Amino acid sequence: MKLDCDVCVVGAGAGGAVAAAELAEGGARVVVLEQGPPHDPDGFTARPPEMLARLYRDGGQTATLGAPPILLPLGRGVGGTTLVNSGTCFRTPPHVLERWAREFGLELDEATLRPCFERVERALSVAEVNPEMAGANAAVARRGAERLGWSHGYLRRNARGCVGSGVCVFGCPTSAKQHTGITYVPRATAAGAKLVTGADVREVLIERGRARGVRARLARGGELEVLAPTVVLACGTIHTPLLMQRSRLRDASAQRGRNLALHPATAGFALMDEAVDMARGVPQSFYVDEFATQGIMFEGVAGPPAYAAMSLPLTGARHARAMADYRRLAQFGLMVSDESRGSVRALAGAPVIRYDLCPADVSKFRAGLARLQELFLAAGAREVYLPLPAGVAPERARARDLRLMAFHPLGTARADARVTHGVTDGRLAVHGAPGVYVADGSVVPSALGVNPQLTIMALATRLAFQLLGRAVPDGSPAEPAATGGGDCQPDPEESACPS
Amino acid sequence: MSARAGIDGFLAAAPWPQRAGLRLLVALQRRPRGAGLLARMPMAEQAAHAILALGRYDDPVLAGDLGWDARAVVARGRALRRAEGRP
Repeated sequence: MKLDCDVCVVGAGAGGAVAAAELAEGGARVVVLEQGPPHDPDGFTARPPEMLARLYRDGGQTATLGAPPILLPLGRGVGGTTLVNSGTCFRTPPHVLERWAREFGLELDEATLRPCFERVERALSVAEVNPEMAGANAAVARRGAERLGWSHGYLRRNARGCVGSGVCVFGCPTSAKQHTGITYVPRATAAGAKLVTGADVREVLIERGRARGVRARLARGGELEVLAPTVVLACGTIHTPLLMQRSRLRDASAQRGRNLALHPATAGFALMDEAVDMARGVPQSFYVDEFATQGIMFEGVAGPPAYAAMSLPLTGARHARAMADYRRLAQFGLMVSDESRGSVRALAGAPVIRYDLCPADVSKFRAGLARLQELFLAAGAREVYLPLPAGVAPERARARDLRLMAFHPLGTARADARVTHGVTDGRLAVHGAPGVYVADGSVVPSALGVNPQLTIMALATRLAFQLLGRAVPDGSPAEPAATGGGDCQPDPEESACPS
Repeated sequence: MSARAGIDGFLAAAPWPQRAGLRLLVALQRRPRGAGLLARMPMAEQAAHAILALGRYDDPVLAGDLGWDARAVVARGRALRRAEGRP
């Protein structure tokens, strides 16, 4: 089976869906290939084990190799990880953009990205959570932060008509969370893009040194070849470098698959006097950023009993007693902006993710866990359950004592203006592979310290308009844009992009 | 779906090296002698315990006793989507 188009987008998550919609609405003929299935919200059951198996890659059990091993949950299917994230939206912090300019030669300042962020935020109905919807779990953290005088606030999220179902990460049953599967993907298809699910892209086709399309295996059997002079890779930070490697794209920088940055994270529980019912309300609605400059961020986490039981760092009778008090349990998360760097490579076709927590990041966890305990106690906790072995105090924790998950993988095809230092350039074009671009977290060259979905979407927006040869408009998503000379075709005379 | 089936599906979705290891841990934890063996390996015991707890507290009756009704959450979501024309 063969298709031909102007732009082939590989992946329908945060980056791919945004790029596809903007390109299709801009007049380009777009094919989107997504490895996973579409997900019907009628099939969401709000039951964690079933939803983990269905909505997550590897059932949410993708793990890093290293000290300590870390679970790295990734979404799979139309919407990608936006389908199963908490919906938290932060713009790229200004100090991060300054670092990118200084260290990586990227011309991405606040003014350049502002129209991209505004456009994405409008498309996703990004707004601050109100205190009523935040629920009692957030109120516990707020009380603690206020008593300690720590900086805090309610998070901004991409949700519309949220009723606080409490299962954002297990599939939103009300479709309130504005993930790309119900926002940008429908916009793309409405504008004429063709979406093929169950398409496992095996290779980017290169002819005479530039992109010619991609070859995919279909889940229903057979192969699909998409012929396109422009290919946008958006398979995510773990899989994009592996596809580039399989395709034998040149990598003069030798950085492909390296520089993996994560937000390693953990969470503590507290037994309160009052009823908390942590799954009533928005699980991730509140943050405490008092120690953000030290790379330590606290954000809300919560879920139904099965989720809490799995996360509660106790065993045996103590676990049973604490779970009997589930309605009075509060939970809050700790996320570290890492200095550690890992790598991803393929072994027998499967990704092997190597990541060791460096001493500086272990120190952040020690400090963060002590602060988390302080937060809970200030809020009036009767007991605090930290994710450490019995008898280990936060300040004495070693890497192997930590029970970690990680989120927000970034950096494995990092952007750098210099061909010797980056896999992609500042325009997100792959160095040495004309016609191949990347629009996912892999291009983000450093940890952000905040949730990255908005950064990825803003960069994808910028890429799409760059390919269309237009400025990103300041108005609503549907507003016509000023035109110019784009680079979505190798030969301007053959360009199908309207100009 | 029964809680047991939910856990079986969860384990089946794991990548193969972990799948075999996790199934072994869970099988050990379910038996008194196996649980005794795991008690000497805290990290392994915690992993096995976490998986079994995920299944146990997914049971609608037990979850209901703790104030969580997944069926009601889903029904409310479906009704809202129908009423408001959400996707």
